[in-house]
Amino acid sequence: MSNNEDSAVLAARDLHLWYGEKEALKGISLDVRPHEIYALIGPSGCGKSTLLRCFDRMNDGISGCRVEGKVTFRGADLYAADVDPNDVRKRIGMIFQRPNPFPMSIRDNIAYGPRIHGVVKEGEIDEIVERTLRQAALWDEVKDRLHRSAISLSGGQQQRLCIARALAVDPEVLLMDEPTSALDPIAMAKIEELACELKHDYTVAIVTHNMQQASRISDRTGFMLMGELVESRDTARVFTKPQKELTERYITGRFG
Amino acid sequence: MGICQGGLGRKRAVSVDAITRVALTAVASVAVLAIIFIILFIADNGVGALRDVSLWDFITGSTWRPYQDAYGASSLIVGTLLVTAGAVLFAFPVGLGLAVYLAELAPAKVRRFLKPAVELFAGIPSVIYGFLGLVVLVPALAQLFPGQTTTGFCWLAGSLLLGVMALPEIVSVADDALRAVPATYCEASLGLGATKWETIRKVVVPAASSGITAAAILGIGRAVGETMAVMMVTGNTALLPEPLWNVFATVRTLTATIAMELPEAVTGSTAYSALFLLALILMVIILAVNLTARTLVARSAARFTGAEPGRIERRLETLKESCGTVRLQVLSRLLRAALLFALVFFILSLFVGSLAAFAAAVAIILIREACGRAMAQHFGRRRTERAAHVCLAILAALMVGLIVAIIGYVAVRGAPALSWEFLTAYPTNAGKSGGIFPAIVGTLELLVGTAAIAIPIGVLSGAYLAEYTVVRSRGGRLIRDAVDVLNGTPSIVFGLFGLATAVVWLGWGFSLVAGWFTLSLMVLPVIIRTTQEAVRAVPTELREASRALGASQTQTIFRVVLPAALGGIVTGTVLSLGRAAGETAPIMFTAVVVTQSRLADSVFDPVMALPYHLYYLASEGRADPAMMFGTALVLLIIVLGLFGLATAVRYWSERRLR
Repeated sequence: MSNNEDSAVLAARDLHLWYGEKEALKGISLDVRPHEIYALIGPSGCGKSTLLRCFDRMNDGISGCRVEGKVTFRGADLYAADVDPNDVRKRIGMIFQRPNPFPMSIRDNIAYGPRIHGVVKEGEIDEIVERTLRQAALWDEVKDRLHRSAISLSGGQQQRLCIARALAVDPEVLLMDEPTSALDPIAMAKIEELACELKHDYTVAIVTHNMQQASRISDRTGFMLMGELVESRDTARVFTKPQKELTERYITGRFG
Repeated sequence: MGICQGGLGRKRAVSVDAITRVALTAVASVAVLAIIFIILFIADNGVGALRDVSLWDFITGSTWRPYQDAYGASSLIVGTLLVTAGAVLFAFPVGLGLAVYLAELAPAKVRRFLKPAVELFAGIPSVIYGFLGLVVLVPALAQLFPGQTTTGFCWLAGSLLLGVMALPEIVSVADDALRAVPATYCEASLGLGATKWETIRKVVVPAASSGITAAAILGIGRAVGETMAVMMVTGNTALLPEPLWNVFATVRTLTATIAMELPEAVTGSTAYSALFLLALILMVIILAVNLTARTLVARSAARFTGAEPGRIERRLETLKESCGTVRLQVLSRLLRAALLFALVFFILSLFVGSLAAFAAAVAIILIREACGRAMAQHFGRRRTERAAHVCLAILAALMVGLIVAIIGYVAVRGAPALSWEFLTAYPTNAGKSGGIFPAIVGTLELLVGTAAIAIPIGVLSGAYLAEYTVVRSRGGRLIRDAVDVLNGTPSIVFGLFGLATAVVWLGWGFSLVAGWFTLSLMVLPVIIRTTQEAVRAVPTELREASRALGASQTQTIFRVVLPAALGGIVTGTVLSLGRAAGETAPIMFTAVVVTQSRLADSVFDPVMALPYHLYYLASEGRADPAMMFGTALVLLIIVLGLFGLATAVRYWSERRLR
């Protein structure tokens, strides 16, 4: 177990989370390994987004939210008292369900993160903008209009811009919270392709409603139900030979 | 930065966010301190008068002759209430009609143009209303009703002006209330076969009743505190009208009394403190009015969101239950009949004797109550609907016509006066001839200084309220309450406060800084409110996006949230500055002089200002009309220029966000 924890990039141990009185996560233990895509599936309200946000300390700002248990990043406790949550979020990037570009130019959207973290030279910014836009497979589409408003892009382009923006602060992990649920199938395919590219350089954890998506792109899959992690193993095994009956009923659509 | 285990950055002992939070809290408490100081200073100066006259005699006594040491304010209080009542009596039906038309009937194109047109009524400075009242309305009344009034100065004139000025407030609050009614209510009623008009009357308006009542009450609040316009047309005799409902009697309001007598009162004398006591009474009236309105607005909001009822809410519900539904219906019907009666009576009494008017009004009410339904049925549902639609459209057209007429009249009469010399020369003959150059410069100087002080404080306070306080938190509520009270405070009270603190206490004398101080306090609540609303409207996703990139809360607020809210903030701020540019009451005791032969050398020198210059010329009589209209036109251009700028910014920022 402890061996596992050391090799994992992200790990949760007996993680509980309450929103006021309501217990949203009921003792989750889970590892995300380097350079894999880990998918979290489960019905709405099962706590998969909440769990994902724990890895980024994005639940900190929610009043009445309380976390117990241990969450580690490369073995270091993310919730230790002296850890700066802003640095956690720099190291662990997040992509949200709905594309959320800032109402600024495309270039400024990407430059925002590096500038926050102290990059001041415009030349350096230019390099980062080109590199991340290429990584996000958006460069060719927008290279002639970097100073146009990001709002003018299509939904799929906006989401790829958000990915480029997240990459611009050099994270080690990307957390994706249903990144394609607001997109059409073509845009979705592009994002999926991108996620598969990105795992060579980064570690990716993705929450999805879409079971085909999980089976297409992820290496391992966790199935969550009512705040508990029911099953977590290789994706192929989850979808072909689930160990738990609940998992089988969910993936075959016989649920309720 | 220190490094924790695993290479994670270590938190700093004192984070930037903590510092920002403390700093913003400090800035936001300015509003609270301001309102506390205003009330304390006014009360402190006011109690001096109670050495010579008891509070009871002060309020109930009917003789107001400060030079004979007679301080009975009842005629002033009654004067204020009468002028206000008259204003709301006609502004409320008109405002409600306009709001219904805007919210329910007007096509989108018409709405887009009608709404700013109605807001324009609020953009025109009070002194210009007063001036037009003086040169157009008052003579017209004297000519139309020669039997009843010889001069034309009367409370009817004051009410008409105040009504027009209160109109935008009434329309915008009622419009918001009507539009907040869920569309499903409407669909349900239409689905049952009701006409659009029946749906509006029986479903939409009743559902929005709390908000609509609040609109009327806020209109009252706006009218009670108005100074310049009323003062210029009501004749200002401190006597009770005889009989009380004689709309052609001259009256004098609390605000006018303060504005007229303050220049002559010796600082610290009984006459001087008595004026502060009047201001205190004014504040009490306005506080009561605004508190009622706020409760009603909260009530109407809670109705559709299903929020927990508050304490007052629950008490109202208990009250309602103990009354019984039937009795309540009778009550509301009686109330409506009484309002209609008052309106009909006043209109008729303009033309016939009051006894005949009374009889006719009673007859009309009775006929309506007895066979209104039968008549409506005879007329037919479709025809009723079409008639109502046409009537409201005509009403809207009339209002647009009025605003065009007001602006057009000033433009046409003022244009001949505009010459290079008029704009760039110094005044001669105590301002009655020559140019208005120092007044233009003075107005701009007042404006720039006010902006420089009020914008930073207002924007930071608004950002604090929106980002750091939850609606129900105690600190946030305290600041919001302070902002509300500050917002309702009449401009003349700001003038009084500026005089007592900046001019006398701090010893700045009549000066630019004293004017900045006073005007900043006046525009502060508007800037805070608009910033708060604009910041609230920024989607949470943008904040999350920024935090997820490792930006601190401070960085998120200053680099993402405030820039995203910029359009709304600029619009609101420019509008508030437009209002400040046209204000007379706050600067007349703090910053301005009648005439100047050179510009101010330092910020401790007084200035000339366009609104005060216009007031001075108009109240002096004997001034050249071309001078007056020219001054009015220049003032109007500046104010409407700011108004246009605000509208342009709003349009531009809406387009930017797709």
